[in-house]
Amino acid sequence: METVKVMLYILVFPGFLFQMIYSTYLEWVDRKLYARMQNRRGPLYTGWSGVLQPVADIVKLFAKEDVTPAASDKFMFNILPLVALASACTAGLYLPVWHLTGFNSFQGDLVVVVYLLAMPSFVLFLAGWFSVSPFSLIGATRVLTQLFAYEVPFFLALLTPAVVAGSWKIADIAKYPWASGNWWVIPLQVLAFIVAVLALQAKLERVPFDIPEAETEVVAGPLTEYSGKKLAVFRIQKDISMYAGSALIAALFLGGFGGGLYLGALQLVLKTLLVVALLSVIRGACARIRIDQIVSFSWRYLAPMSIVQFLIVLLLKGGGVI
Amino acid sequence: MFKKLVTWARVKSPWILHFNSGACNACDIEILASLMPHYDLERFGVMLKASPRHADVLVCSGSVTKQIAPRLKRIYEQMPDPKFVVAVGACACSGGAFRGCYNVLGGIDSVIPVSAYIPGCPVKPEAIIDGVAKLLAQLDKESA
Ligand code: SF4
Repeated sequence: METVKVMLYILVFPGFLFQMIYSTYLEWVDRKLYARMQNRRGPLYTGWSGVLQPVADIVKLFAKEDVTPAASDKFMFNILPLVALASACTAGLYLPVWHLTGFNSFQGDLVVVVYLLAMPSFVLFLAGWFSVSPFSLIGATRVLTQLFAYEVPFFLALLTPAVVAGSWKIADIAKYPWASGNWWVIPLQVLAFIVAVLALQAKLERVPFDIPEAETEVVAGPLTEYSGKKLAVFRIQKDISMYAGSALIAALFLGGFGGGLYLGALQLVLKTLLVVALLSVIRGACARIRIDQIVSFSWRYLAPMSIVQFLIVLLLKGGGVI
Repeated sequence: MFKKLVTWARVKSPWILHFNSGACNACDIEILASLMPHYDLERFGVMLKASPRHADVLVCSGSVTKQIAPRLKRIYEQMPDPKFVVAVGACACSGGAFRGCYNVLGGIDSVIPVSAYIPGCPVKPEAIIDGVAKLLAQLDKESA
């Protein structure tokens, strides 16, 4: 019974199958909201109100010819999309949604998830590097430069709820407001929440932080040479990263997904939708900034903001209020 | 069944690449206008892509000059199969106002095969949408 439950957890909910389906839905929500922000309608004729549009995109990409450039490193070029997809999917497994055992919930799993969420960025860098085209090389170096800008504020922001709950375990952090009744810690951490959302936006390389794939400058950045199946895998990975990132933020800052399977799933959907809606609104409201601007923005505003938040929490903790 | 699914996906998600092979720029502005909020081609799943590797439909405007011809051919060859070419504007269809100039080869079809011709000088956004829709309907019919 235990093995069956674990397999279900990995393969069905909240594992691979759920992530695949739900992340395409999230992409649709994102595209619709983005279109509404621009006074458009967005996808409209593929399924109900265009809800199957991301699925159609992916199926079409899978059925297309798959070009491997002659100059590229064949092995790395082919293997990298799968590495990115695997790490994004695995990150989603550590969310405290349903059936928690020693393998998907342990002390320090927060660090593991943050690491797994950073993996796709490294993979993107390598993908650009090994496809050996001038555009993808420039895109690849931009990916890394950007990574150094947002990763530290992201980690500092995620540290705050961990300090509040006094644990490195996502499940414990998510349970903290339920267990202690201190619901006011959620509005207390609003600064860290803002930093985390902005850093997630940068991690997903969306406007205004889409510098690595700025199509007016470097075509499609690291993904310039990717086509067909591999591009499809990268798209799925992007969606799943969006799901896993927003669910992680929801678990840490918005009270998690307590209350059993059904209530937990409902909360998971509602809270990730809330975070994704925030991400789309940011995407619709901003224009792209330059690479030097994102570095100075991260280190001048995001990092100090998260440190201030960290200090507030630390002082309250030391004073015995939390 | 599987073929049907693939055709459905292809018809519902044409990603386009815009290429100016020597247009006077009016056709390009109309192509962009059809992607903008007023006409919003994303309703049909059309997305403008920057890389030829991602695109399904090459939207060409303007007559082919001698200088651009090899580049147009290379861009076409960089696109993964199945791919389609749409010639937008009188120039792209036949050479238009520039036909017979010393530096002009002719329409797009003098270099690469074209699947749909959309005449007009410049074309209206409605005409572009109509042309793309007809191409997709044809695609749907052929594979059915
Ligand atoms: S068809 Fe007319 S508007 Fe279009 S590129 Fe040619 S001359 Fe310009």
